[in-house]
Order: sequence, then structure tokens, then C-alpha cells
Amino acid sequence: MILSSHGLIASSISGVDADWLAYYNRVVTAGGSLTTTEQSATLQLVLDLKANSLWTPMKAIYPMVGASAAACAQNLKSSSFTGTFTSGWTFASTGVTPLASYMNTGFNLSTQIGSNPLNMSFYNRTNNSLSQGEIGCYNNPAGTTDNEILINYSGVFYGFNSPSKYVSISNSDSRGFYQLNAQALNLKAFKNSSQFGATVSLTTYTSTNLNVYVGGINNNGTLTTPSTKECAFASIGDGLTDTQAGNFYTAVQAFQTTLSRQV
Amino acid sequence: MLGYQLTEEQKDLIQGQYYAPYQFFNCVQDINGVWFLFLSDEDKPEVEASEYAWVFDLPEAEYIPPPPPPFPPVS
Repeated sequence: MILSSHGLIASSISGVDADWLAYYNRVVTAGGSLTTTEQSATLQLVLDLKANSLWTPMKAIYPMVGASAAACAQNLKSSSFTGTFTSGWTFASTGVTPLASYMNTGFNLSTQIGSNPLNMSFYNRTNNSLSQGEIGCYNNPAGTTDNEILINYSGVFYGFNSPSKYVSISNSDSRGFYQLNAQALNLKAFKNSSQFGATVSLTTYTSTNLNVYVGGINNNGTLTTPSTKECAFASIGDGLTDTQAGNFYTAVQAFQTTLSRQV
Repeated sequence: MLGYQLTEEQKDLIQGQYYAPYQFFNCVQDINGVWFLFLSDEDKPEVEASEYAWVFDLPEAEYIPPPPPPFPPVS
């Protein structure tokens, strides 16, 4: 069931997933709107995540639909962690593109994840080899904690869990869906459906006491390594099993395909 | 890339200020420590309608970003 794309607050429509309906209402209340295709894509994404036991581990999901700050700021999962954008972002039906800018998720990793396994993701539609960071936070001076995805930093992918625990691998094409995932004291990176680089053993889970930024990295409240890559999805949540990580890609890629913006 | 160039005082006037419900100003420093503001085409109508429309009178200049920090960080 698809709702009108403008101005309809749907509070009691039977047959529609209640979590999706709440998200849709948040978008409209914020002054945003979704096309009928975006409505059906986000609804199916919620259903797919639930069907694959991925809904519960997710804490913040940003589908980046609606082509406005009001719509893209909304967290699909809940009314918490609504994002705020700095100046410089371009909002389009294909996603959001920063220019020396970031979205503050309001999601403090230390508070929300603590010493538990972590999954962060970023769907990148831009192929460039610039040394940039896409999502995460770290404490400065380096050596404290790092939780971040750097898709192509100096030609190398880095997925950090702490300063000395990172996955690195050459990345010839930076487009794709990236996950940084800690689970069972293993740190893994995933690009699309495959593990990306080697597994790194952890002795503990480390979470930075900062909010996660999208479009760059939060370095003690200051944007560092700003990205210029177009983001079509981002998320933060609990660590996933390998099977869940693969299913997560499948669900997100189906979502992007419905929106005709898959890479 | 071109951005609006600000003095320290001008930066202090707008840094962190909201010009729309989900959008706020964030100025960044270039390689020489000069403050810059970037506005997308989507930002401009919102800023134009705000009390901060004066930023459009700021001089535009070429922005050269500071070099990225070394990665991976060293403990």
C-alpha cells in the first residue's frame, strides 16, 4: 500500500508495517516527502531487514531518500538519532553528496554500543581515489579509539576498530556497499557481498566516545578527512554474523535497484 | 573549488547556527588556516531567506584543503 507523496499523515492504515509507517510520518512531519517508488523501496527494505533478522541489530538507518535534508535526516529505525546536516550537501534522488560537510547522526558510539560488537555501513556511488573518510569517529591524538570506514584512503581501504586494529586492502573502484563489522572478536570489512581484506583478531571491542559523522570523520568534534562521495545509504548497529552481513548487502542492493541507483 | 571566504569574526557569527530545521553552518579552514563556507544549490534558497543572507556578499576564493592526516594513526 503506497501513500500519497505529499502531506498525508498516515496514522492508522492497516496492512502497512508499523515501523515503516512511523518513519514515513516522521519524513512528512519534518517537511519532507517521498515519491511512490521511494515509499515502496523503503517499505520493502524494512520488510527485508526484518525477514533476515537484521532489523533488531540496526540502531540507525539512513536510506538517504527524499532529496531533501528533512527527509534524509530521518532514521528509518526509530525517532532517535535524527541527523543534522551542515552546509554544503547536495540532495538528489540518487543520494546525498557532501562538500566539506557532514551529517551528525547524534549517535555516540560509546554510549550506544559501548564494548559490544559494532557494524557500520556506507553505500558509495562515486568512484574516486581521493584520500577521504566516509563514516565514523576517532579520538585525537591518534592512539585512543577509531571506529571508521575510509573507502579509499591513499589508495587503500581502511576499516578501523581501534588504532592498531584495522583492515587494509587496495581498492581499484571505490563504488559499492561497505561494511565494517566486528563480531566474535573478529574485525572484518565487507565490500558488497564479499569479505574485503583479511580478518583481524581483536582482544576487545572499542567504541569512541563521540557521535558518528557521515560524509567525513568526527575527530573530537571537528570534521576531518571530508568525503566527496555520494552516499546512498548509511547505518550503525550491532555486529553481524557473516551470513547477516551478506543478507544485509542483498537487502540494501535490492533497495537501491528499486530506486534505479544501484552500483 | 570555490567557496566563500570569511574572517574569524564572521566565522564566529555563523558557525553552528541553523538556517533550516535540519541544516546548520559549518565553516572549514583551508591549508593556510583561512575560513571558508560552502553552500550547495539546495542550501542557497534556505540561507537567502534567513538572517544570514549576508554571506552571499562574502568574497569567493579558491579553497585548497589542508593535507589529510597520516593513516593509519600511530599509537
